[in-house]
Amino acid sequence: MGIFKWKQVFLGITALILLIFFPLAFPKPFPQHVMILVFMFGMMGAAWNIMGGYAGMFSFGQVAFFGIGAYTSSFLLITYQVNPWVGLIIGGLIAALVGAAIGYPCSNLRGHYFAIASIAFGEIVRTLFTNWKLIGAAEGLTLPMLDESVQNFIFHSSKLPYYYIMLVFLLLSLLVCYFVATSKMGYYFRAIKESHDVAKGLGINVVWYRLVAIMISAFLTAMAGTFYAQYILYLDPDSVLVLPISVQIVLISMLGGAGSVLGPVIGAVILMPISEVTRVMLGHKGTGIDMLIYGALITFISVYQPKGVWGLFTGMVKRSK
Amino acid sequence: MPEQLGQQIVNGLLIGFIYSLIAIGLTLIWGVMNIVNFAHGDFLMLSMFASFWLYTLYGLDPLFSIPICTALLFVLGLLIYRFIVSKVMKGPMLAQLVVTFGVSIFLANLAVFLWTPDFRLIEKPLLSGTWAIGEIKVSVPKFVATIGSVIVSLFVFLFLKKTKTGKAILATEMDREAALLMGINTDRINSISFGLGAALVGVAGAFLSTYYYIYPQVGGTFGLIAFSIVALGGFGSIEGAFIAGIIVGVAQTLGGFVFDPAYKYAMVFLIYLIVVWIRPQGLLGW
Amino acid sequence: MGTKRLFAVYLGLALLLCLVGSSSAQQRVVKIGAIYPLTGNLATTGLDCKRGVEMAVEIINGKYDLSLPLAKTEGLPDLGGAKIEVIFGDSKGDPRNGMAEAERLVTQEKVVAVIGAYQSAVTKTASQATERLKIPFVNSDSTSPTLTERGFKYFFRPECTDTIFARNQFEFLQDIKKKTGMKLESVALLYENTEWGANVGKEEQKYAKEFQYKILEDIPYSQNATDVSSEVGKLIKAKPDVLLHASYITDAILYTKTFKELGFAPKGLLTMAGYLEPDYLKTVKADGNYMVVRSTFALDLAKRKPLVAQVNDLFKKKFGMDMSGNAARSFTAPFVVAEAINRAKSTDPEPLTKALTETNIPGDQIINPWKGIKFDPKTHQNIYATGILVQTQNEQYFTVWPFDMASKDVIWPFPGWKK
Repeated sequence: MGIFKWKQVFLGITALILLIFFPLAFPKPFPQHVMILVFMFGMMGAAWNIMGGYAGMFSFGQVAFFGIGAYTSSFLLITYQVNPWVGLIIGGLIAALVGAAIGYPCSNLRGHYFAIASIAFGEIVRTLFTNWKLIGAAEGLTLPMLDESVQNFIFHSSKLPYYYIMLVFLLLSLLVCYFVATSKMGYYFRAIKESHDVAKGLGINVVWYRLVAIMISAFLTAMAGTFYAQYILYLDPDSVLVLPISVQIVLISMLGGAGSVLGPVIGAVILMPISEVTRVMLGHKGTGIDMLIYGALITFISVYQPKGVWGLFTGMVKRSK
Repeated sequence: MPEQLGQQIVNGLLIGFIYSLIAIGLTLIWGVMNIVNFAHGDFLMLSMFASFWLYTLYGLDPLFSIPICTALLFVLGLLIYRFIVSKVMKGPMLAQLVVTFGVSIFLANLAVFLWTPDFRLIEKPLLSGTWAIGEIKVSVPKFVATIGSVIVSLFVFLFLKKTKTGKAILATEMDREAALLMGINTDRINSISFGLGAALVGVAGAFLSTYYYIYPQVGGTFGLIAFSIVALGGFGSIEGAFIAGIIVGVAQTLGGFVFDPAYKYAMVFLIYLIVVWIRPQGLLGW
Repeated sequence: MGTKRLFAVYLGLALLLCLVGSSSAQQRVVKIGAIYPLTGNLATTGLDCKRGVEMAVEIINGKYDLSLPLAKTEGLPDLGGAKIEVIFGDSKGDPRNGMAEAERLVTQEKVVAVIGAYQSAVTKTASQATERLKIPFVNSDSTSPTLTERGFKYFFRPECTDTIFARNQFEFLQDIKKKTGMKLESVALLYENTEWGANVGKEEQKYAKEFQYKILEDIPYSQNATDVSSEVGKLIKAKPDVLLHASYITDAILYTKTFKELGFAPKGLLTMAGYLEPDYLKTVKADGNYMVVRSTFALDLAKRKPLVAQVNDLFKKKFGMDMSGNAARSFTAPFVVAEAINRAKSTDPEPLTKALTETNIPGDQIINPWKGIKFDPKTHQNIYATGILVQTQNEQYFTVWPFDMASKDVIWPFPGWKK
């Protein structure tokens, strides 16, 4: 077990070094953009993992938090010139509060019931934002082209700052995941995932810990939302509050291995480039082949490797002993 | 004013019965094997396309292609169960949730690939036009679909309650382990249920194709609403799904008319949330 | 079993790295990037736009006796006969892909200009990227007025804006009132609740007030509805004189059917976008008659401008269908770009952009009913872009307004639904 852990750390550091030097080896914007997406979805996958992989609440509504984060910081920036970094925190807090508010009445919901409730939640948020004139309704928000600076959280001449900021965000969320996984809280989450009754019997406050999981997850996902807004500089309900984003987050976590710290990152590293590359190579023909491949891949993974790549990896390691 | 209200209620019922038919199939699959069939809407789409091609290539009116569409979808359901779903039955819940998503994306884009994203409509179905009953206008194809939905639902109900296979399905729904102990081949029951669920949505698709436009992504909205209906009615409860479908159809239409149509789908989802908070097993679920 | 799969994963990753880091092909041709929603919900529209672009490029590269810039010569004569090659990018209707595609097309495919992207939201982010990269973007198929209000240096729009289209609708109503003496006082606004539709709604509200029409209903709706009885019920209850409907193709079809089913028959229907798509009349047939649709192209313009018929003949030969309003709009951008490149005798961004600002294509060299293409020096909006209104009669589109350009009289009021 000890060697396993060192192997992990070694691999992790190698990966990190590669990632740090990646944009220097690939100076073109597109590969950097793909990696930024990998980091962004990796982060959201990690956030989902806290709720889903660890605590057993399979949310298909994460996009609501993503959108809340994006909209909050953007609205505050445009209307009150609030610094985006401050908006980031506020967006995260609001998302966490909303998550708790919705999570509380859903405390008894499990499995499919919870999944559908989360979809309903996401759709309700989308409808609300589409009709809420204060924040732009269907027309969305366009962020002002301020001078580039870290303070303004906006960069024009190069994608590198975006790349490294998102990488830092990702590492942060992985750290949170690691902490959750190895702490007593993580133990509680796993107990809750196994069975509410057993957890209660162990004296765990199921309702409270479920809410904590949701709030952490929501906060991190909202952070990704603010990043998106500062990166794309335009958002509307159709681009930041739609169900396919929620689904993609779940798929990434599952593909990589739900319930493991690195799982979602691995999933993102595989799925995002595939999705982008197939779009570039095959999308322009309009035949839908790229999505065909995507759908087939997901089905295949679910059937043959449901524990994801991470499950594959740990399985291999076990077998090699 | 009152007559517009009446019209809206009628329209709500007309769409509600179609919802019911779609939801029954979904709840059957859900209740028997605990699988949320996210590809349900895409089964609907395939049935609509089948009906369209039978009409275009062979001149078969959609009313007569109902048995064919149903049979095709039944077979499709069996195949998908046998080669895909059965293999995740023993897997983690997450895989079960995700696998039908994969199938959904695959089917929708298969349709794009085979038939292009263009929109199709069956131009001259046998039944078309509108009846006027007093001030209220009733679309003929929608009305026929409603009658059809009631008849089919009745058939399913009788099948489940009176036939041996049907009773086996209900037993498996209620208690899987007990059913196994009783010697019921649950794998075979799963197969049949999945096929039956698909067949039911096949009927709905054939009816829908008489008046709705057909394209690869058409399953999207119908599918999403179907989940809310099933959950509202109670997972596994056929009667529940039937009633919930009608409730949702009327609520959506009436609500959209009286309040703001922009929120009508949000209202459907809100109703689901409220019901599930108060009564997690849905209206008639166990 | 596990190793095989792992190997596949590695292979995939290797492939990805090669692709993502690869450099572009050599430049024997002049490359233009075109971004459209080629898959996803608006795929039919995107593919329609693609047809327009491909037709334009074929004419530019070939030798045709047409009164279009660069048609009579093969390729770009002042650039050694260089041919144009269009590299298409699929936006999937998502603004984030718009940005990514613009960057990829410019930095990896080395396109010298970008055109597209139909959806204003996608055009917004794509052109933001090209502005950062200092590469020209010529947009002939997005109508949001905000696109030319950003003070961009490298963004050019030959096409009309929704402001103009919305205004046209009310100008038409005024003209009809004058001509027939009919009483038209109220309107109902129906629009799909996305970035485009909502903006149209806003413009229509503005002009309704300016022209003093009562707005009896203002209904934004979610696209791809399963049923629109509620919305139509509200319209029936309100009894407006005229309906203004801004819709993409799916809802155009559904609403037409529902209007007929529930018997909604105002004095007239003024519509946009979806009603112009080839699939609309193909699907609803005679029920789609009498719709008055805003456009910047109509086949019957051929009566005054034979060029339109000549181009349509080519289009029909190539694609087996008549040119639609969408295809016609996207048809314009490649010409504007190619003509500017030719005039600048260069594909470098600065001379090309300068040439674009000096664009002055006369009206007899475009298929649109405009005086020409000339960009406002500040906003880069085509100062000659105007709209026309067409009406569906006998399942074909005829120009009905402005009256002096009409090939047929508008049939007004709406005669009702045929059984």
